[in-house]
Parts: sequence; C-alpha cells; structure tokens
Amino acid sequence: MGTLHKGGRDFVGIIEAIELKKYFPVGKGPFARHGWLKAVDGVSFSARSGTVFSLVGESGCGKSTVARLLLRLTPPTSGRILFKDQNVIDLKGDSLKAFRKSVQIIFQDPFASLNPRMTIFDTLTEPLKIHKLARKSEFEERVVSLLRGVGLQDEVMNRYPHEFSGGQRQRICIARALAVSPEIIVADEPLSALDVSIQAQILNILQDLKQRASISFLFISHDLRVVQYFSDEVAVMYLGKIVEHAKADELFGQPLHPYTSVLLASAPKIKPGGAKRTVLKGDVPSPIHVPSGCPFHPRCPQRFTPCDTKEPRLEEPASKGYKERQVSCHLWNPF
Amino acid sequence: MSLLEIRDLSIAFTTTSRPLPVVNSLNFAIQEAEVFGLVGESGCGKSLTALAIMGLLPENARAEGTLSFRGRDLLTMHKESIRRLRGKEISMIFQEPMTSLNPVLTIGYQISEVITTHLGFSNKDAMERTIELLQAVKIPSPEIRVNEYPHQMSGGMRQRVMIAMGIACNPSLLIADEPTTALDVTIEAQILDLLGTLREERKMAVLLITHDIGVIAENADMAAIMYAGRIMELSNVSTVLENPKHPYTIGLLDSLPKARGIPLKPIKGAVPKPDALPDGCKFSDRCPFMITECLKEEPRLREVSPGQWARCIRAEEISWESSRQ
Repeated sequence: MGTLHKGGRDFVGIIEAIELKKYFPVGKGPFARHGWLKAVDGVSFSARSGTVFSLVGESGCGKSTVARLLLRLTPPTSGRILFKDQNVIDLKGDSLKAFRKSVQIIFQDPFASLNPRMTIFDTLTEPLKIHKLARKSEFEERVVSLLRGVGLQDEVMNRYPHEFSGGQRQRICIARALAVSPEIIVADEPLSALDVSIQAQILNILQDLKQRASISFLFISHDLRVVQYFSDEVAVMYLGKIVEHAKADELFGQPLHPYTSVLLASAPKIKPGGAKRTVLKGDVPSPIHVPSGCPFHPRCPQRFTPCDTKEPRLEEPASKGYKERQVSCHLWNPF
Repeated sequence: MSLLEIRDLSIAFTTTSRPLPVVNSLNFAIQEAEVFGLVGESGCGKSLTALAIMGLLPENARAEGTLSFRGRDLLTMHKESIRRLRGKEISMIFQEPMTSLNPVLTIGYQISEVITTHLGFSNKDAMERTIELLQAVKIPSPEIRVNEYPHQMSGGMRQRVMIAMGIACNPSLLIADEPTTALDVTIEAQILDLLGTLREERKMAVLLITHDIGVIAENADMAAIMYAGRIMELSNVSTVLENPKHPYTIGLLDSLPKARGIPLKPIKGAVPKPDALPDGCKFSDRCPFMITECLKEEPRLREVSPGQWARCIRAEEISWESSRQ
C-alpha cells in the first residue's frame, strides 16, 4: 500500500496529514484557561490518488475537525498538511487559489450549505467566475452538463434552493463541487441528513464519480454500512487519535483494535434473529479529560495491566501476517 | 383484546384553503407486551400517528377514526381523562433528548414529578422511587445523578433519563419515536438493549418508530412499513425482511449498501408532497413494477399470504429475488 506514514518520506499520496494537532482552549474567559480540548491529537495519514479514504468514529472523535484542517478552513495547532508535496499551511495568493480549486467539500446539511438568495445557475457559475474557468458565453452549457452529471433537469437552473428536496439539494452541492474539476472531494457526512431511499441515489452518484472521473475522496461518516461499501482505506478515530488504519476489506474482515470490533458489532444488521449486537459499556469520555494510558481503556472489554498507564502507539502489529496496516493497541504490540 | 387498536385513523392539517390529509385510514393493532415497529421515511406520517395516540396533535391537525386503548377510544375521550392516562398508561420518548428535558430543573425533579402527579407519592418517596428508576435504566451512581441538570449529562445518559421518566408509572404502552437517531452507534446499541430488557421485565408493549429498517430487524416483533400516510406492508418482522411483497419495502431493502462496489438500486425520485400524491397507488410514480392498472384506483391493504398484508395489486407476482436482477 505504501501509504502508511512511517516517519520517513517513502509514501505517495494526494493529501497527507503529518502529526496534525488541533487544540481548542477551554475555560471561562481568555485569562482563566483551564486546559485544552484536544480535538485532533497527532493524526497522520496519507490518502492515495484515485481512492476513497474514510475516517470513521463517533461524534466528537475529531473527524470533522480533520476535514476542516485539511481544507485549511481552520489553522492547525501543529503538524503539516501536504497536498501533492506542497505544504498547505504555507500556501499564499495564486498557489492557495489553485489549492482551493483542487480540493472541494460537500457538507452534511444541504439545507445550510446553499445560498438561499442565489439561483442554482448563480451558485454553479460562481466558482467558474472566481477561478476564471469559462467564458460567460459558455456558462449555460457548463451548468447544463453539471446538472445532468448529477441527474437533474436543465430547467432547474433558474430556481432557488428552497424549491428542492434534501436529496436534490445534495445533488446541487455535488455539482457545485464538480464545477471546478477538483482532484479530491472532502465529503463530511454527505448522506446523514437524507432519507434512506435518497441516500442510495447520492451514494451511486459518488461511486460513479470515483470510477468515471477518478476523483479521490476523503469520506467522513459514522455509518459503517456506507463506509464499507464505498471506501478503499479506512482510519478509525477515537478521541482525536487514529486507533486503527487498514484497507477497507481487511478492516471489515478482521478488525484488530477492540474499539473497531465493537463499532462493527454495534452497527444494526438487517438479518432478523441474527446475532445480537455487542453492547459496549459507558460513554465516550470528554476530550477535555482524556483517560490516561490508552484512551479507550475504560470501555475496553479486553483491557489488561499496562492499558491504564501506558499509551500504545499506532504501528504495524508485531505478529506476522498484518503487513501494511496499523493499530494502536497493547494486544497487538506488547512491550 | 388488543392493547391498542387503530381503526381508520386519518389525520389532516387544516389549511386556509382545504384540509391537507397526511395520514390516511390507518389500521393496525398492538398486542400486550409486543414490540411493534413503524418504519418510514420523513414525512410519511409516523410521528403524527404517535402524537395522535398521545393526544398531543398540534392545534391545526384533526384526527378521525378510532384509537381504541383497552376498549376506550382515545380520540373521543375527555381531555382530562387523557391527561390522566398520558404518562401513566401510555408514555412516550422522543428523538432529541436535549430538547425534551427542561434545562433548569434537576433530572430528579423531572422524573419524580411524574410519580407525584400520577401515583400520589410524597416528594420523599417519589425521590426514592426516582433513584430506583435511574438504577433500572443503568445510570451509574444514581444518588448523585438525581441532583444533576440535563446539561451535565451526555446524549445517551439523557435518553436514559427520558426512558426512566417514560417507565416511571409502569405504562402498558411505551411509544419510542426515533429513540436512537440522535445517538452514536455504540450508544444506540446500549439504548436498544436497555429498551429490550425493560420490556421483558415490565411486560410493556413498545411502539418503536424509526426510519432505520436495521433497528426494527433486531428489536421488533411486528413491522408496518409506512409511505405517504398509508401502511404499505404489515407483517411480522422476519417475513417483511426475508420475503417482502410491497415494492416500497423491496426498494428500502435494496437501498441499503451491501458488498463493496455492487451498484445500489435506489428508489427513483423523491417522496411526493402530501398535496401532490399520484392517483391510484401512491407509490406508483416511483415504483419499478408499475402498470396502468395501478393508476386506476388505490389498492387496498390486503392479506397476500397468511399474516402478511400488502397494499399492492401485483404482490403475488413480485418477489425480492426478481427485483435483484
């Protein structure tokens, strides 16, 4: 796979995070800081060109913050972000504009991410104007082809967002992201605001883009059925850290980290009378008071002596047969 | 006798021009100690049905038909009798535990209020009972937690508090409207597990309302699939999931992602607005099995095989397998 970060520079990826950290100060007022909320705490990964890299985890695990950091929508506390070997943090002027064109985002809530006062035509031509990608005379043709690409009729271009359902709006958001021919699309929970029958329609569009237009995706979701269906590579996050990282087939076939196992077992199954879900004790701890040692140890069904004091590192399991995947657990990397 | 029997329930919103029907002659029955799953997408009328049972319909909604709860019609009952029933014999938990708890009262106060109101306990006894209830919903250190406010608890804990409030008077029917939609998967599993245990222990019936067919698969005995204010298919859960007979049920099952890379078969189009439903069968505009017959008149919900009811004239011809090609 060659994409796992091993400290060196021996990997190729379209977008890479290296020891990315984002801490938010918490406390009452600017003079009385009580501590830091470690939303993202040392995350490293590399998404390969033309593939789908998924981040999964429960709410508050930092997956959306990672997306915002990668898009440079919020500055990291420390760490580096590389887009095709350029450090994204240092980009300015034209190179920043070029980066913005190459990396696009689709948000979770299509009701909040379209300007209600702009027609669909205006929404879809604004990126073309900003990046000077087409002449005015070509606008209509471009808009028509964008709309057709996401399965919408030509005549919708003169209408306003409020006239559309959630699924149609999400199609418009995808068309807007595609207007600038991006290389990678960050999709932050693009399906969770939609109904089940509409989710499948949008997922088919994304799958089609991946195959036909060979666009890479950084896909963020809490729905494991969708992640399994759509991803090539998966990183599982818990309390701001990646706890397991592997190819999708391997991760879903044989999860190594106890948290991954529980997450997979918690997902609803449609076979009636099948195996009952595994029920995990307790809640996700607050990211302000991260437990000592392994952050998952208070909820872990398999914890043992060193787990509450020594924090495991994310590395390849010591036992043979698990090449090119990483897990942060003492079960797999005893010391 | 069934615990709750719903006969020809129709709900319409009164608008300035004409009434807007949203639920159309619904018929189903919930037996004692049974988990009945009501599945449908947003806007199909499943939550309104729940609110009608609770007597909590908004001012501008009108309900017709019969809601017979142990032989008494909830729709014609006096407001005061409904108030005494609600929270005691029928109670409800909602999707969003944050907005359904009062932020300025301790959770202990909010739960014990139910007990003092309906069972006439003294404040002291009610508080003791509250602690037992918090124990029953598996909230750790309940003696301390009773004095906390909702903001001090996580989403899963708040939903446990809602459940404690719901079961405070040992109701015979608990309505759970999307109880886990706002929660993470590991917490969802906990809450569903808890509901299952409580139902066993207390022999209460549960009306489980959800959009996720996976949630009813593991937890319900019976399932009704709703679309556009109507029941499209009604049967026990395993029949619905293994041998669905209505094209909408088949569409929902086919929309779930399966093995990697296999193209999904979504239901085409979108849910129509309640004032723009097609003629005849209300699913006809999105149905892959539609024939001209379907547009003539709306099919009845009829028994297509013993114990399995479907609202489709072609139910015998179609099967899930034939739609998979």
